[in-house]
Amino acid sequence: MPEITVDGETITFENEEEPKLLQFCLDQGVELPHFCYHPALSIPANCRQCLVEVGTPARDRESGELERDEDGNVKINWMPELQTSCSISASDGMVVKTHRTSEKVRRGQKDNLEFLLANHPLDCPICDQAGHCPLQIQSYKYGPEGSRFEFRKIHKPKRVRLGPNVTLDAERCINCTRCTRFTEEISGSDQLTIIERGVRNYPLTAPGEEFDDPYSMNTIDICPVGALTSSDSRFQARAWEMSRTPSITTTNAKGSNCFYHVRDNLIMDVTPRPNDAVNKFWLADEDRLDYKRFNNDRPEGPQVRRKGTLQSASWEEVHEAAADLVREAGEKVLFLGSARATVEDNYLLKRLADAVDADAPRFIPHTEPGHGDGWLRTDDRTPNRQGVERLGFRPVDEKMLRSQLDAGEYAAIYVLEDDPVASGLFEAEDLKDVPIALHHYNTTNETLPVANAALPAATVVETVGTYVSEDGHAQRVRPAKEIKGTSRILTQAMGAARQDTHGTPFDKWHNDQNRVDCRPGWVSLPAVAEALDRDLSHEGPKQVMGEVAGNVDAFDGATYDAMGLAGVRLEAESDRATAA
Amino acid sequence: MPTENGATKVKDWRNYDRVLLPPIQDLHKLEVYENEYEGYEAIRSILGDSEQDPEAVTNEMKAANVRGRGGAGFNAGLKWSFMPEPDDRPRYLACNADESEPGTFKDRQLMEYNPHLLFEGILIANYAMQIDACYIYTRGEYVDWIMEMQRELDKLYDKGYLGENIFGSDFSTEIILHKGAGAYICGEETGMLESLEGKRGYPRTKPPFPAQNGLWGYPTTVNNVETLAHAVLVMRHGADWFSGIGAESHPGPTLYGISGHVERPGVYEYPTGMLITDLIDKVAGGVRGGKDLKAVVPGGASTPPLRADMIEGVTMDAESLTEAGSLMGTAGILVLDEDTDMVSWLRRVAHFFQHESCGQCTPCREGTGWIEQVLARMDEGKGRIRDLDLLLDLSNQIEGRALHRGRLHRRRRARPAGGSGGTGVSGRPIASFSRRMFSLLSAIRQTVMRKT
Ligand SMILES: Cc1cc2nc3c(=O)[nH]c(=O)nc-3n(C[C@H](O)[C@H](O)[C@H](O)COP(=O)(O)O)c2cc1C
Ligand code: SF4
Ligand code: SF4
Ligand code: FES
Repeated sequence: MPEITVDGETITFENEEEPKLLQFCLDQGVELPHFCYHPALSIPANCRQCLVEVGTPARDRESGELERDEDGNVKINWMPELQTSCSISASDGMVVKTHRTSEKVRRGQKDNLEFLLANHPLDCPICDQAGHCPLQIQSYKYGPEGSRFEFRKIHKPKRVRLGPNVTLDAERCINCTRCTRFTEEISGSDQLTIIERGVRNYPLTAPGEEFDDPYSMNTIDICPVGALTSSDSRFQARAWEMSRTPSITTTNAKGSNCFYHVRDNLIMDVTPRPNDAVNKFWLADEDRLDYKRFNNDRPEGPQVRRKGTLQSASWEEVHEAAADLVREAGEKVLFLGSARATVEDNYLLKRLADAVDADAPRFIPHTEPGHGDGWLRTDDRTPNRQGVERLGFRPVDEKMLRSQLDAGEYAAIYVLEDDPVASGLFEAEDLKDVPIALHHYNTTNETLPVANAALPAATVVETVGTYVSEDGHAQRVRPAKEIKGTSRILTQAMGAARQDTHGTPFDKWHNDQNRVDCRPGWVSLPAVAEALDRDLSHEGPKQVMGEVAGNVDAFDGATYDAMGLAGVRLEAESDRATAA
Repeated sequence: MPTENGATKVKDWRNYDRVLLPPIQDLHKLEVYENEYEGYEAIRSILGDSEQDPEAVTNEMKAANVRGRGGAGFNAGLKWSFMPEPDDRPRYLACNADESEPGTFKDRQLMEYNPHLLFEGILIANYAMQIDACYIYTRGEYVDWIMEMQRELDKLYDKGYLGENIFGSDFSTEIILHKGAGAYICGEETGMLESLEGKRGYPRTKPPFPAQNGLWGYPTTVNNVETLAHAVLVMRHGADWFSGIGAESHPGPTLYGISGHVERPGVYEYPTGMLITDLIDKVAGGVRGGKDLKAVVPGGASTPPLRADMIEGVTMDAESLTEAGSLMGTAGILVLDEDTDMVSWLRRVAHFFQHESCGQCTPCREGTGWIEQVLARMDEGKGRIRDLDLLLDLSNQIEGRALHRGRLHRRRRARPAGGSGGTGVSGRPIASFSRRMFSLLSAIRQTVMRKT
């Protein structure tokens, strides 16, 4: 196998891919400073930061034999200039010196950073990127101590609205062209280009055009400085004030991997989490802008209808009220599962329906034809339709359901984390005489005003559970923020999941502010069951999912351990059908 | 005195008969070009002669050793031979008429007075490389000549000299005139290709070279206007005639653009290899007002300047100029007299490079402006001693980060002539630009050396 020597350490590699030196070193855990290189984009080698010394073994011209010195060591021909490691391919016998061993490389890196900082505004104290800024970090690590630039810096526009979601601070731009390459090579919208020349350069759209690419906000993440900022979350929180939790987004059925950034139990930002099997490095804008519903319009605890009005109640009371309405309806309960709720909660709902001899739950599909783009947006606007379908739930037949309701076939409706009124399944009017138990996320839920027992539900950022994407990718979610009350399971899961890279005393994540009085389905459903003298008790969602994976063929292999951080691809239903 | 085969030796430059810009009235018109200049005879005879297959034409060019007149001085025939075998993909010739190097204005003269020589040269090149279309990327400011050239091109299409089945042969080719929008970096060949494609003129990384991955990703050759014009002369008079003119290693007629402090600035056609002193004193009428010479920039602003005491015996060809520490470039000679304030001049040059830096790569983008500011401060009399070190440092930081100048000079000399102004040696992308910057830097060094 070909081998290459980096700072004296010899490493073998597969030749087929001709790895670029920079990526190769990064893969080996050798940090090489760089800005313009991005593994998903073309290689312009324009920032000139990733410098290394490169030598190749000398070969005799005639015989092709390696030349050796007196001691028998292979002679190395060093290239006279420093090379950009991002653009040079590793080849057999290559010898590389990085800043760890070469003064020349250190000098080159320092010089280049001095140039990059010459006209840089040094906005760090007010810059959203500060704290996780490659320019800031690399300047500290590899840059010069001061600057010899004693002139007025170039000034450029500091608040350019590129489009609805992205705001540019042109002064901070280091012209790496990652953003323009993203629109050219990844999203294909071609909306950004660099304008002006030389030191006045910055990215912009064509005159009169908007940067309204549905993936525009990815440029914010790949921008190595604080030039591109989220119009929505800029100046809201410093990087080190937030903790981040790996999870997935739920605005569509793609299951894109993300991080939820949290401060004081409020979600502040959503950024992509790389997963080759799902979303690579990217996230649709809609996935990032969807977080406010986790913070706003949240219920203030359970409610029960008394003398016609919804009133606050204790969790015991609401469990009793929900149990009462199920008990009274006997088997005539319409159970509605939810493509927005986790597999675990839907599974427990199914068991509850079984326990009272009601029909299996159905679910309300939420599709928006034409919304999907074959990439990270889908027509399906729910995160778990596959999950409920794999549990055997069928979508509701609106017409039939309405006539059944009119015919008095249902004496109660039990809704798990959905909104039959807002989705148009029923008119609120029609539900006046049917008692309803409702697990809901937000006070804006339009079924809430006609509910009899309202059980606030934990959202995707507050619970533990599993979702199955449109492509059959089963993925776990982890709690990013705390809810009222204590749950050993949630606390442990939260602690284990937090990839809090900062973990400083400034981290206000663990506190009592902004906790919502809500409960995961896997807490409240067994409680309702218990009030009905049925047993749905379990050891936690992990065990529930283990049970699902063990009992339901369509979930074969989907255990928590197997899903880990990257998820598992479940066998397609059609494949299983043909196999059977 | 012309030698037996009609070629003029350098020493006989006074008897030289102009061939690129002969004194013929209205030569820019097709009728005149055909009737009084044997116009289109070269391509006609190639197309009518079964011996003259494309390879033979390329070989003739190679043998003539026409060194590219766009600056890098690479053997044009050799460059043509780098084109891959024709396949079903399109292939292009891109004629570099962007001429924006300060002190360079010779292509304009050709386009104004003898444009058909360029068109015929393009036909020959397209035939030799079996190319379907040539784009002429003209400097946008040459708007008058662009319109004039378009009129002449239309005549060629009308007469069947261009388009389908040229002169009734089975050879077909097109010429498309394109007007640039005024950026120096669009004269760098890959920047030009990007610009032709409708993109921002950011030079590409090389390799791959245009022959592999050129215009719209297809095989492309880039040649300067004058280089292509020479193709007609080579095919008309033969490679021996051409290589017998002027300097042995850098032969042929050439256009010297002489500007600055001389009595008679202008474009002069003579053999290569002329003594710089002859060009200044005898051709251009000497330094203006009888003043002493201070320095000469021999090949456009991006070639290193030579002090008056460095030009004794130096001739205008790659070999001699490299020896002297400069480059042939575009043979645009800028003459500076004894009163020239070198710092002020340098500041002006630095301003040009700062203004024209495309800004793609960090050292050039940030370094050029910084250098200009330091020079401006010096020029305004507010310089500090440490500015000299700073300038040297910044120069080194831009140019390959070598730490002493001797090394740089050695390396430049060792570099094989060619690579079409490119960056192939090290694969540094925008190095082509910083390489041009190098001359500025060396000018700084020389000024600094003189001042200290
Ligand atoms: C910054 C820069 C500017 C250039 N400008 C021109 C130009 O205006 N005209 C030109 O013919 N060549 C120019 N060149 C050289 C071209 O890159 C290229 O080498 C040349 O067009 C090749 O033609 P030739 O081989 O016929 O000389 C420039 C090169 C650089 C690096
Ligand atoms: S981009 Fe980075 S270095 Fe620049 S101001 Fe922001 S944090 Fe500081
Ligand atoms: S805005 Fe950011 S990503 Fe775009 S070119 Fe500037 S530094 Fe690079
Ligand atoms: S990362 Fe290599 S030049 Fe930018």
